Amino acid sequence: MNNIKIEATERSPDIDFNFAENNFSIRGESYPEDVSEFFGKITQQFYEYVADLADTELTFTFELIYFNSSTAKVLMGLFDRLDEIAEEGNKIIINWCFEEDDDNMEELGEEFGEDLEHAEFNLVPKETDE
Amino acid sequence: MLAKQMLDFRKSLHNEGVVFCYSGYMTEDVLLSIGSVIKKKLAADSVDKKVVRGVFSVFVEQVQNVIRYSIEEDTGGQQNEEIELRYGLLMVGLKEDQYFVSCGNLINKKNVGTLREGLNHIQQLDKEGLKLLYKSVLRRSVPEGSKGAGVGFIDIAKHATNGIEFDFTDYDDQFAYFSLKAYI
Repeated sequence: MNNIKIEATERSPDIDFNFAENNFSIRGESYPEDVSEFFGKITQQFYEYVADLADTELTFTFELIYFNSSTAKVLMGLFDRLDEIAEEGNKIIINWCFEEDDDNMEELGEEFGEDLEHAEFNLVPKETDE
Repeated sequence: MLAKQMLDFRKSLHNEGVVFCYSGYMTEDVLLSIGSVIKKKLAADSVDKKVVRGVFSVFVEQVQNVIRYSIEEDTGGQQNEEIELRYGLLMVGLKEDQYFVSCGNLINKKNVGTLREGLNHIQQLDKEGLKLLYKSVLRRSVPEGSKGAGVGFIDIAKHATNGIEFDFTDYDDQFAYFSLKAYI
């Protein structure tokens, strides 16, 4: 599968889906005009890819500064699916990065992470750039 | 006369603590430009970063709620109605040391009951309850209609550390005016 690389804009995040290395990330701000238009295709490709995943180690990193509630739906879908493929025997590592002084983003990470039963989940504080 | 009128208007906004006010069509372009103005203004006023984030989140959800509602609500092909529904009034302000974001827009009268019920429910929930409701709505596979109290309103309530207020009033036979104020 071809890797996906989309640069961030003021309102949409940087997407880096490296299928060859099983390394995925979503970083930045996310409140796109049309969430399904922005995320629809790339999440579909991701879901197709993981459908046949076996005995694989995969890392998914979220490093979001802000996301709206429509994006939250997409994230919830990804978390649930990642946990399923972990249950199927893959080693799934989810990193949730947040600026160290952003309690809200840390809390959102906890909220999403607490339902995971099989995937490994890391809350990763980052130094705030001023 | 003109200047006096405008000044009076400005004074009454000022008395309400309004720092920023927009009245007009809610579009994604408006969202982007006003959002950046609000962030810059609050940062320039040295407002706590957490408050800035909260205000910005509530602002985005308020505006997107109006936009989404005007699109999703079946207007039976009546262009006028769609335009009416997209017309919103948005204010960001500071009163008694609390920031607030308030928004008003027209909704169809038939949606008032469900929305009121949904918002009453949200208003009563504590932090844990809001979190659970938020996650259960996020997991719903069908797109939840903005006609009830969708995930946007739950998100607003989560960020409104000092609570939300809302109200409805009759506009005409078909429409009611809806307003929601969130305190951060």
